[in-house]
Amino acid sequence: MLAAGLVLSVGAAVTVGPADLSMGTVWSVVAAHTGLAESTVPLLRDHIVWELRLPRVIAAAVVGAGLAVVGAVLQTVTRNPLADPYLLGVSSGASLGAVGVIVLGLGAGVAALAGGAFLGALAAFALVLLIAGWRGTLRPTRVVLAGVAIAQLCAALTSFVIIWAADPHATQSITFWLSGSMARADWTALAWAGVALGVALVVILWHARALNAFAFGEEAAAALGIAVGRVRWVLLVVAALLTAVLVAVSGAIGFVGLILPHAARFVTGPDHRRLLPVVALAGAIFLIWVDTAARTVFEPRELPAGVLTAVIGVPAFVILLSRGRDAAR
Amino acid sequence: MRSPMRALAPLSVVFILLTGCGADTEPAAPAPASAGPVALTNCGTPVTIAKPPQRAVTMNQSATEIMLALGLQDRMIGTAYLDDQVLPDYAAAYAKVPVLAKEYPSKEKLLEAEPDFVYASFNSAFSDEGVGDRADWQNLGVGTYISPAGCPKDTRPEKLAIDDVFGEIREVAAVFGVPERAETLTTAQRDRIAKAAANVKAAKVLWWDGGSDAPSVGACCGGPAMIMTAAGVTNAFADLDGSWGDTSWETVTERNPDVIVLIDATWDPADKKRAFLEKHATLKDLPAVKAKKYVVIPFSSTSAGVRNVLAVEALAGALR
Repeated sequence: MLAAGLVLSVGAAVTVGPADLSMGTVWSVVAAHTGLAESTVPLLRDHIVWELRLPRVIAAAVVGAGLAVVGAVLQTVTRNPLADPYLLGVSSGASLGAVGVIVLGLGAGVAALAGGAFLGALAAFALVLLIAGWRGTLRPTRVVLAGVAIAQLCAALTSFVIIWAADPHATQSITFWLSGSMARADWTALAWAGVALGVALVVILWHARALNAFAFGEEAAAALGIAVGRVRWVLLVVAALLTAVLVAVSGAIGFVGLILPHAARFVTGPDHRRLLPVVALAGAIFLIWVDTAARTVFEPRELPAGVLTAVIGVPAFVILLSRGRDAAR
Repeated sequence: MRSPMRALAPLSVVFILLTGCGADTEPAAPAPASAGPVALTNCGTPVTIAKPPQRAVTMNQSATEIMLALGLQDRMIGTAYLDDQVLPDYAAAYAKVPVLAKEYPSKEKLLEAEPDFVYASFNSAFSDEGVGDRADWQNLGVGTYISPAGCPKDTRPEKLAIDDVFGEIREVAAVFGVPERAETLTTAQRDRIAKAAANVKAAKVLWWDGGSDAPSVGACCGGPAMIMTAAGVTNAFADLDGSWGDTSWETVTERNPDVIVLIDATWDPADKKRAFLEKHATLKDLPAVKAKKYVVIPFSSTSAGVRNVLAVEALAGALR
């Protein structure tokens, strides 16, 4: 049912936007590009659908799915309900990288920004691993604490760089970037994010049973014959790499990775074989609609999607929370 | 108290202050005998200037250039915060005035200069990132003035017009007791604008200030809109609130502007903007991009001041 919801969401979201295009126009563009029909739509309108809207809507789905899955995995692996994809210092590292690129004038282009963000994310995560895994296994508490410490460090350095070097005019684009937005999504970005999500999903689903065991604690997992240390390494690295790619594409979009896993657990229970597909689809649908709102509600003004995720998500979550309590009674 | 502080102060500053006073050999513009107190309301704050200031400090490009355009360099003891090089016409006069800081000076640095009047283009000059609260300076007996275009939102002109800029020039000239210079300057500027805007072809203009994810464009009510109105062209985003607003490339594509203004700034040069447009999967096919209908305008010409006329001439000149 959720899969159908995702397809419907993509289909509907593509027809909505600041430009006034009819559903017929939108679908004949899609048909033309998929070789189903001859194009009859003027070039600019064709571009609006095929180059601006469609990659963006699909990218929102990919980013939403990725963030939600990573959040669910990290919450289980670190046994911390407050874990989210940015726990490992990845987003603050990415911010620092992106701000560095803008301020050092290495290029204001999309590729340069995303590249800086990706490198920053990887560097921050490497530091976290180094601190947490120094002479020993990656204990969850150490990972969380190292992540928090590195995130604080990167945030402070980001503020420092902005205040020290950036022109106040440059901070405007930095702020927009830091708030998290799908506006820069194009087919290239989508390809990166799609491949990263695909690979990560395969690895994570492969470990779904191990994740179930983790939920009962490490001893229980070990007793069930799971190589706790190795599995934890694999999952943390996969989660961080996927987050690094997603952050490079969309900036740091909050809320999705923290709250949606909890919301999904209300529905599916704790079994990761069910939880992971559901949380991925829910994340995808959620971010598609949040981004659609970001592009259209205040049209012709555009908002960063990251500003809206919590505004739209929190009321939805409160409803779920109260329903969940009723059901538990 | 005074001498140890002096001793601690950077030597260069002492040097500049000394030479600044010593070099005051050119005949100062004689203040008219009739120059009495000037009282005005600026950004909703009453300001009274008892006698024409002799130790003025300007912050931001426009404020500095308005002072130089009024020939008041001999009343200036410091400037700060340029976005661009000073206009060639005023370069010689500017070179004689000490630069207190590259951006905003700290409050202490400004106190050390002992100004009797502080004039800034933007409200941000009197914030924590600048020289501190305006009221504190007034209480010290230092006159303050902020460009009406740069006032906090509630006291800014609702829709900035070129007459607001001329009004600012007149008020500043009145404060310094040289009102006749404002008349000469504004009349000349008004004539240049009228000449530039004559016979301009109708066109829908996208004013792209910066930002590649969500383009920041000239909106209804600020400097960009003022320049477009003065040049007699249509602003493609006159329905956005504020001076600038973030929009989407989809909306830009739908509105399909005839001409694109590329703002040239050190932090975001026009060349990069042009390259971005011509590489972008969608925007490269906009008729304005294909026909290279660009007008490059330096950012410094867009904040209210004596450069606005240059922006009007550039924009109108491209559409004749």
